[in-house]
Order: sequence, then structure tokens, then C-alpha cells
Amino acid sequence: MTLAKAAGQFTETEIDDEVVVMSLTSGDFFSLTGTARAIWLALDGQHDRAGLITALAAEFEAEPDAIAPDVDDFLAQLSAAGLLSGA
Amino acid sequence: MALLARETAWRRGPVPRDLDGITVPLGHRLITGGRYLQWSDSGYGYYHAPGEGIVIERPDGADPDEEALWLNGSVYAGVACLNGFLPLHASAVAAGGQVIAFTGPTGAGKSTLAAGLGQLGFPLFCDDTLLVDLHSTAGLIAMPGHKRLKLLPDALALAGAAAQAPVGAETGKFYAQPAAGDVGQPLPLAGLVFLEAGPETLWQEIRGAQRFVRLEDDHYTQEIFREAAQPGRAELFALRARLAGQVAMARLGRPISAAGFAASLALVATRIREFAR
Repeated sequence: MTLAKAAGQFTETEIDDEVVVMSLTSGDFFSLTGTARAIWLALDGQHDRAGLITALAAEFEAEPDAIAPDVDDFLAQLSAAGLLSGA
Repeated sequence: MALLARETAWRRGPVPRDLDGITVPLGHRLITGGRYLQWSDSGYGYYHAPGEGIVIERPDGADPDEEALWLNGSVYAGVACLNGFLPLHASAVAAGGQVIAFTGPTGAGKSTLAAGLGQLGFPLFCDDTLLVDLHSTAGLIAMPGHKRLKLLPDALALAGAAAQAPVGAETGKFYAQPAAGDVGQPLPLAGLVFLEAGPETLWQEIRGAQRFVRLEDDHYTQEIFREAAQPGRAELFALRARLAGQVAMARLGRPISAAGFAASLALVATRIREFAR
């Protein structure tokens, strides 16, 4: 199943090297930096979980197995906040 | 400028007690349908409708000093909000054709700092309320202040400013002449500096999401903006994103003392000259 940002559920902007995302449902803000920002930007609706991890591993020159737990944690947080579709 | 001048031009006349069948009691205001109605506790009435300016009803025996405080405070801010301006709780100076604004809670020293910078040659841009023009899609343009500089006696001494007439209305403040004069035309808003009390004098740039957090403000002008513009979450976010993306931000910490004021004044003057370059 492909993963994507939950359309219509958020608004976002980039400031300096951070992405600031706001849930339109709760009004909560999320500041995404570093790997969280990279994962968020990679959620383009073209990858499933495995493809997302492969793409990020290539970007960060890391082993897919090494980054998978962090990616899963962040995807779970996005899902809980209602910002992820396809999870 | 012309829009704001037209919509805030005032005259005396009868002010309605209600809008759309809703009576506004003394000490309250109502903003609806592009109109603004306020009755003060003492019985001053203020009314604005599009294209009609502001009508003021003065009660018998009222303190005349109070009239201008309401007019230049919440009423002016409300009318500005209804006409596409965002009020920020800030005093500001001009530097190199741009505006550097100082914000913080009441008593943080915004006016005193702006007045002190006048002694160093920076003209006053506004005192207490900074209006940002949201019509322009290019940069953020700030409107020159409509209020006279007001300072408490200890602030007058700190800033080296000369007292003029007392403000009255039990404020304890005096009107003061800006040492380097003031600015009469709109200018780009370049910087927003957050004033804080602290043990040492410091200037620290604010970056990223912290800019969003810093733009949270519980000043009455923000309440008026929400009542007048009724922005949704997405609109408020977009507005903050615009401010955060286009205006440099920094925090200024300093001890609240005469020595702390002098040190912070020198530091701020150096920094805002850098902004201007």
C-alpha cells in the first residue's frame, strides 16, 4: 500500500531548514527537522513502506534495516496525528 | 495610507446601542458585518461602518483624555483589522528605509527602547501598535504609527526623552517627543525583536518553528483581529508563515536596570544597523 500525506488534513510551510506542519483538525503544530523532514518530504504517494525505506536509505547512505525502526516510529506518529494516509 | 486615513477619520455624532439587534452593553464591543461598535465603561461610544469613518459619542462629564486612548487603541485597531491590516503589539524605529519592531508584553520596555534609539538617531516609526498591510502580495509593508509616543517618568529618564503633556486618564504617562523625529510613510517590515528580561544582555536570532511559537500573542489587538477577520486555522497558519518567512526575528535579553538598558541600547543599535545594510 502506498503511503501519502493525508490530503486536506494539514497545511505546511518551510522556514529555514524546518518544515512546520499544522493539523487542521487539532490545530497542533509539528516541527520537522533532519530525518523527520526527509521522511515527510518523501511521502509523495509513490512509495509503499519498503520503497520509502529504500529511498531514504539511499539518501542517507545507510542500511535499510538500520533506519527502518526510526521510519516506522515516525510513520506511527504521523498516523496517530491523522497526517498519513495508506498506513 | 489613503484607505486607512479615510476609514479612521472621526467625527462626533450619535452612536447606536446595538448592531443587528444585538445590544452592546457598556464595557463591551461587537464586530459584525464589517462594522465596529464599542461602548466604554464610562459611556464613550464608537461606531464604524465601511466608508463612514468613525463616529464618537462623548458622554456628559466624561474624562476628555479617555477619548483618544480608546480611539487610538482598540477602535483604531478594530477598524484597521476590518480593512485588511494586522496589528502587532510593538513599538518600532526606522533604519535604512526599513522598519525594526520591538515586541513583548506590556511593561517589557518597547516604548522606552524605541525612544532611547531616537537618541542614537533612529526615527520613531510607531509606538505600541504596529499595523502590517496584508494587501500587498510582495513584501510585508508596515504603516507609520498613529499614536504619540507615551512614556512613564522613569522611562523618560532612561531614554533621555523630554516630557510633553501628561497623557491623563490615570495612566501616569507623559507624551514625549521622539528625539530623531518620526516617519510618515509606509516602509517594509524587516525585523521583529522580542524583548525579554534576563540576567545578561544578549541578542539571539530566532529560526525555524520557533518563529511560529513566538508569534503567539495574547495582546488585545490579536483578539480584535480574530473577531474582525475571523480567520480559520489554515488562514492563521498562512499568515504566520508569511510573517515567519519574510521577517527576520531575534530575541533581546537584558537586565531591567539603567545599566542593562544602556548596554542593550548599544547592542540593538549595532544589530539594527546590520539589518539596514
